[in-house]
Amino acid sequence: MFEQAVAAFVQEAQEILSELEDLILGLEHEQDQATIDAIFRGLHTIKGSGSMFGYTCLARFTHHFENAYELVRSGDLQPGKDLIDLSLAAQDKMSEFLELGGDGPRAESLLVSPETCALIDKLTALTGAQTTAPASTETAKTGAAATEKRTVEIVFSPLSDALCNGMRPDLLVKELLELGSGSVRIDTSAVPSLDEMDPTQSYLTWHITLLTEQDRAGIEDVFIFADDADLKITEHVADEPKDTEDNAPNATASKAKSAPGGAKTEHRQENIRVASSRLDDMMDSIGELVIAQARLDAVSESVTDPNLDAMVEEVGRLVLGLRDATLSIRMLPIETVFGKFRRVVRDLSAELGKDVQLVTSGGETEVDKNVIDRIGDPLVHMIRNSIDHGIEASEVREAEGKPAQGTLRLSARQEGGEIHIAIEDNGAGLNHDAIRKKAIERGLIDEDTELTERELNQMIFEPGFSTAAEISSVSGRGVGMDAVRTTIDGLGGNIEVQSKQKLGTRVTLRLPVTMAIIDGLRVRLGKSVYVIPLSAVEECVEMDMTEKARTSGRSVLQIREHMVPYLELDPLFAQEPSQEHQRRVVVVRVDGQRVGLVVDDILGQGQTVIKSLSPYHRDLPGLGGATILGDGRVALIIDVATLVRWAETQHGANIPKVA
Amino acid sequence: MTQSANLDEANMILVFRLEGEAFGVSVGIVHEILDPLDPTPVPNADPFAPGVINVRGVVVPVVNIRRRLGMSAEQSCDTARMIVLEHTIDGSPTKLAFLADAVEQVVEADVTTLEKVPDLGASWPQTFLKGALRREEEMVILLETETLFVPCLPASAA
Repeated sequence: MFEQAVAAFVQEAQEILSELEDLILGLEHEQDQATIDAIFRGLHTIKGSGSMFGYTCLARFTHHFENAYELVRSGDLQPGKDLIDLSLAAQDKMSEFLELGGDGPRAESLLVSPETCALIDKLTALTGAQTTAPASTETAKTGAAATEKRTVEIVFSPLSDALCNGMRPDLLVKELLELGSGSVRIDTSAVPSLDEMDPTQSYLTWHITLLTEQDRAGIEDVFIFADDADLKITEHVADEPKDTEDNAPNATASKAKSAPGGAKTEHRQENIRVASSRLDDMMDSIGELVIAQARLDAVSESVTDPNLDAMVEEVGRLVLGLRDATLSIRMLPIETVFGKFRRVVRDLSAELGKDVQLVTSGGETEVDKNVIDRIGDPLVHMIRNSIDHGIEASEVREAEGKPAQGTLRLSARQEGGEIHIAIEDNGAGLNHDAIRKKAIERGLIDEDTELTERELNQMIFEPGFSTAAEISSVSGRGVGMDAVRTTIDGLGGNIEVQSKQKLGTRVTLRLPVTMAIIDGLRVRLGKSVYVIPLSAVEECVEMDMTEKARTSGRSVLQIREHMVPYLELDPLFAQEPSQEHQRRVVVVRVDGQRVGLVVDDILGQGQTVIKSLSPYHRDLPGLGGATILGDGRVALIIDVATLVRWAETQHGANIPKVA
Repeated sequence: MTQSANLDEANMILVFRLEGEAFGVSVGIVHEILDPLDPTPVPNADPFAPGVINVRGVVVPVVNIRRRLGMSAEQSCDTARMIVLEHTIDGSPTKLAFLADAVEQVVEADVTTLEKVPDLGASWPQTFLKGALRREEEMVILLETETLFVPCLPASAA
């Protein structure tokens, strides 16, 4: 039991630490009370639970850190750059303590190590507090601040999708009213007329007038997990009296009050921790349910019984709801990855002596956990590239009439079943001449090959093409851009690069929101059925056989005013050449280029549960997995990116055979 | 792994036929026996694992062990069955299926008394064989699943 509790503590502490980093970096821009309170609460939780679960060294160290934020919280200490630097170092140190796995000689020696002592000294120099006093200062604070009753106006409006994310405004309001007495008014002015209303959206705003002894932090605690809402708290009492007991460790005033911040939120927490493997299992079952549902559909079509049809429809609706609910459990805001990059950018720009500012947007965009887990490294690599090679040194920038500070923009948004993540810098842009030269050097293209800008941009993803020529401690850390592309391919996504010389570069990643279920286009090739991910499909056209005869093996189709190269799948998939005359072309987009895939027929589209292939088939080119069709047969899912690239390497060998 | 643990005790062997000969695998790894299903061919796959089937919602590769044992391609017959078993590849359990001309019975056998398969008359590569058991008048050849099911790299991959 206890071991489980310790493991839970370690996990929680890790989460708090990574949150702390974000919050501390947030202070650099805006020093709002909420952030400071959150930092304080986090530190307090680690300190309190740490000593409870056998991490007393960590707790003792954290105590000094917490003291500093105690002062910041009361306004006695300004969170300047020195404190932020110190806080980041302290936060790293806390991670170190955590990694040592509890108390022991190593933790003890870390606590008395010169580095740690220096940190503590600096922290105490800032706070001017006694180093030996353990705990309880903040208890005094909370108590002192909460003696007087005050009227607080709270305006609370959940974001429109908050209800879908499981927010329960009713419980929040109830909890709030337990803090004192007050009245609630609901603003319904934003509610649309009935036929426009989406019942899953929230349109309401709560105005709550509360008479309470709680201070602001106590009220904010109620909303601690309701971050997908706009919250405005106005206090109608003169600013809380300046707390004179801050530095008096033995103050007794607070005994009667509730436990301080962190501990208090713990028992109110309604979230549960679930091992992600359990979610995976659940997803597997849902996947099978979706397949069974498709089969049921097929059966009911052949039976034609109105009762059965109605039932099947009902079940279909339920299955869909269950699937969406399950998928949404696995969704995490992409902010969880973005947050990490603030530190990366800060450290890196310091290391390289460049002034770079990171601007993020769309952090609330939700992505499947599997995707989140795997895009961190590629994104870090691209951010490194941007700072190292994209953004110029301040002097250069000024000479070119750009602002001295470079800007790196990281944005995410959802578009249909896809997430678009863009990494954008206003640096030097890609040097097309240099890329061209390197491509020729490496024998990737011939001396006289003409490449479009887009093709040149794609060159940076070729293996070994990365910036190896310019060695720095930053780039060339192992993952080249080709590894980035491999990861993105593996996720069923794709990458596009746009670059303007002297203006900057934008890399856009297009990723599926989830990897468990995709929308797929079912196509027939001979007797086999294949599924093409709909996210890659641009359009479907008839294959003009006369055109084919006329171009005699040049494998280019004219679709409206554009020429589109095409691939015939039968030779690529080693099937008998098709004798059919009414063939279709599925136009897909790969690496920013349109390519037609010629198939015998298009059967339809629908939900496709992705099953991974066994080791026997995993590495085959052009296959991204398998799925089970409504009739119980297996269909293979085409991975268009690897298929097209592989076909290009096979071009000489395969295409002439067809012609 | 599973079977080596089982082999320490008196073992249960599933006996099936390929080209008239009796072969056996440990019952411990066998998941189920199915009527033959038509596999979905996997393009560019190694001929050893040319297709996949759906076994109750799981996509299972069908392996051609006749090929590894140097036999001719199978003829369809009424008694043919698919044997689905679980085999560990690179540390992860993988389901796979293969076709047998007929599945006969489960026998109890003391595998400590395995005999070496006589080279005479047997054209099957010894690496895929664990040994032979005597059963009434004939021999049951126990297959070495560790080597028999090793996937080889797709020859056609670029």
